[in-house]
Amino acid sequence: MSESTTTESTMSESTTSLMFHKTVLDNGLTIIGEHNPQAQTFAAGYFVKTGARDETDEVAGVSHFLEHMMFKGTDKRSADDINREFDELGANYNAYTSDERTVYYGSVLPERRAGLIDLLSDMMRPALREDDFAVEKNVILEEIAMYEDRPNFKVFEEGNRRFYQQHPLGNSVLGSPDSIRNLTRDQMLRYFESRYAPDNLVLSVAGNYDWDTLVAQIAALTGSWQPQDTARRYPDADPASGHVRLENDKLKRAHVALYAPGFSVQDDNRYAASILASCLGDSSGSRLYWALVDKGLVDSAMISHDSADHAGNFFGYLSAAPEALDDVMEILEQTLQGVQDEGVSAEEWLRAQRKLATSLTLRGETPFGRLMSLGSSYQYLQEYHSVQHVIDRLMKAAPSDLDSFLATRPFDRLFSVTLTPPVTPSAS
Amino acid sequence: MSERIYQTQLSNGLTLVLEAMPWLPSASLKLTLPVGAATDPEGQEGSATVLHDWLSRGAGGRDSRQLSDAFDSLGVRQGGSAGRESMSFSASLLADTLPDALRLYADIVRRPELADDEFVSARTTAEQELASLDDSPTQRLFLALSRTLFTSGQGRSPYGTEAGLAALSAESVRADFGRRVSPQGAILSVAGGVTWDDLRATVEESFGDWAGDGVPIPEPSIVTGTREHIDSDTSQTQIGVAYEAVAPGDEGWYENALVNGVLSGGMGSRLFKEVREKRGLVYSVAAVGRTVRGLGYTLGYAGTTPERADETLSVLLHELERIYDEGVEADELERARTGILSSLVMQGESSGSRADTLGRDIFLFGRPRPVEQTKEAIAAITVDTLNTFLANRPRPEFTVLTLGPKAVTRHAVEAL
Repeated sequence: MSESTTTESTMSESTTSLMFHKTVLDNGLTIIGEHNPQAQTFAAGYFVKTGARDETDEVAGVSHFLEHMMFKGTDKRSADDINREFDELGANYNAYTSDERTVYYGSVLPERRAGLIDLLSDMMRPALREDDFAVEKNVILEEIAMYEDRPNFKVFEEGNRRFYQQHPLGNSVLGSPDSIRNLTRDQMLRYFESRYAPDNLVLSVAGNYDWDTLVAQIAALTGSWQPQDTARRYPDADPASGHVRLENDKLKRAHVALYAPGFSVQDDNRYAASILASCLGDSSGSRLYWALVDKGLVDSAMISHDSADHAGNFFGYLSAAPEALDDVMEILEQTLQGVQDEGVSAEEWLRAQRKLATSLTLRGETPFGRLMSLGSSYQYLQEYHSVQHVIDRLMKAAPSDLDSFLATRPFDRLFSVTLTPPVTPSAS
Repeated sequence: MSERIYQTQLSNGLTLVLEAMPWLPSASLKLTLPVGAATDPEGQEGSATVLHDWLSRGAGGRDSRQLSDAFDSLGVRQGGSAGRESMSFSASLLADTLPDALRLYADIVRRPELADDEFVSARTTAEQELASLDDSPTQRLFLALSRTLFTSGQGRSPYGTEAGLAALSAESVRADFGRRVSPQGAILSVAGGVTWDDLRATVEESFGDWAGDGVPIPEPSIVTGTREHIDSDTSQTQIGVAYEAVAPGDEGWYENALVNGVLSGGMGSRLFKEVREKRGLVYSVAAVGRTVRGLGYTLGYAGTTPERADETLSVLLHELERIYDEGVEADELERARTGILSSLVMQGESSGSRADTLGRDIFLFGRPRPVEQTKEAIAAITVDTLNTFLANRPRPEFTVLTLGPKAVTRHAVEAL
């Protein structure tokens, strides 16, 4: 068994019953936990710091394809065994791949904790068998075909690539049908070996557990894994501005993806940016809601702020009748310019803060919700943030935090991609 | 757990139910009114949807923006929609703001402004939402499947129809409000960090003198065995299947839930294994239980590229039939049972899902179902009783709807 090198425990400042734990094993695997003695469930997840941004063009889509293959068996377990065991644990479980990370997670009743940890940990060392690879390739191709029929998703694939230009954050998570067809099992194996090393993983847990027992079990299961000193590249981004229009005659509606510069996870202005995004484009009571949704000019309009690893942006989505698009875009530009010129009122700001605080409180009430925030914020910042800490930061953020940012006129650099059917000129 | 559930019916017909979760700082509420597409006036399909939107556009002397700001100032996260049989207003909030939020909802259902100019916006919004379905093949499939399955009003689309929306006027929807929105059959379900005495006092004060008769929901009726294809230039063919199952509250309800669990509960379930894992035919395949009041049915779904649609449909239907022909194995039952019991506990951690489930239980079953009772019922089922249940059920008669570039044909399936 590997000896643990660091162990920390911190009482959360707000709720005395919550406790934070952290242990780093000799091989670099970081284990973090938020203990809640009142929790009725236990959630755990491996956060792998790898995603589409860590891929080269030749292996586009490998992170996501690999995520599927991780369920296909290990030296000890077949694919059937993995699926069956998750069900036997009564687990609520899944995995996802984004630009930035791949996460394998599950939530179970406390008495099945050890079974969940055993299964997730074993999965992290997959067999990657050739015949499973061939069958799963079809499933990936079906998933790509499914999203082809979802323009509200597709428009972001088109948008990301053009907005980030050469930067890897523009990579597609799914890859293309060609890149998936051409991908070999050996390419996947090489990618796996470099990216799934223990020093590139965080195992996050939340809920009801005994830390020492948990760490001993994890150390025994993962002690043989070898560190790789894997690094992520952070090339400078040169995001595009302007407007791109792509016609597709299968569509009936115009779908627009919107982008503007924002703040990274490493930048504390992200709190103020998320409040500003809520003022601009929340689903209720926001500027865009009143300007577009309330009047029935669009069927959907939203703006949010997305903080990534050393990059960040505001993004948004609109869906409207193709012939109304020009008017809608003009109103959008006016709305953004209005906020850029005059800021938002103190009342607007406070309403957005309160809505966001309610959402954070609700998400923080279950171990499953905590698992996700805990793992991702730790992976980015190597810091523990309790729900109360995040709410305090949010409530302290002031409109003036963004004065210098808005003075750079970020919304003048708005970028949009529109997927739309061709519009036939009207008879008039 | 049952001691944490409180229920009362006001003299005007409104049912109030609370699940106290005193350890939570939050609370959630859901106000369900038995007003949906099924009782839309003939020729005015979409009236409930427009009304639902219009109600939130000003109430209690506040205009649309003042009302929205009042909710936002309380930090309320609002939800809600109009459906086949009912409409709902739901909210998640910090528990100390609940009384103020309840007073706003009382204004919405009792004292809405229903201003003429807001009617125009509410109808335009509904038209936009209807139009947006054009780019969503899966939603189009399921709306068409319900229309084909039901011979009663429950088959109507909650989005309404173009003609129905066009036929509405401010006067007609205002009259519809007077006719259909009432405390009769209304349900206010609450879960979270609030006490019964406080909640009850607030509700008595805000809703106690609400009056009206409302309109009863028609008995549901369905026809199965139909087969239709909708031509559509999509990348994937959408396959939808529907067949009758056990009605809410009828004998066999929990057995039916376990059958769906064996078919489609987790990644070890039959459909996932046979359709996706063994054959790689789909990304998405599922069977789920659905209900309207007094009727239960099962929906099957798979999405696949057109050249694999015949095989996908064939395997899907084969598995849906095989479970009735051959029954289930003991280990399959145990996994399905574990899945249901475990998700009951997980649901019990969230005020939002408890408020939602309580409201739904009262609407469908006429009573709240405490988690402990459901657990006991699920635990009592054995592989013998489940297989007896399956043997005594009629073999399912499928209504099958497909949507895609070409029609889909069922053929014989070889076991892998």
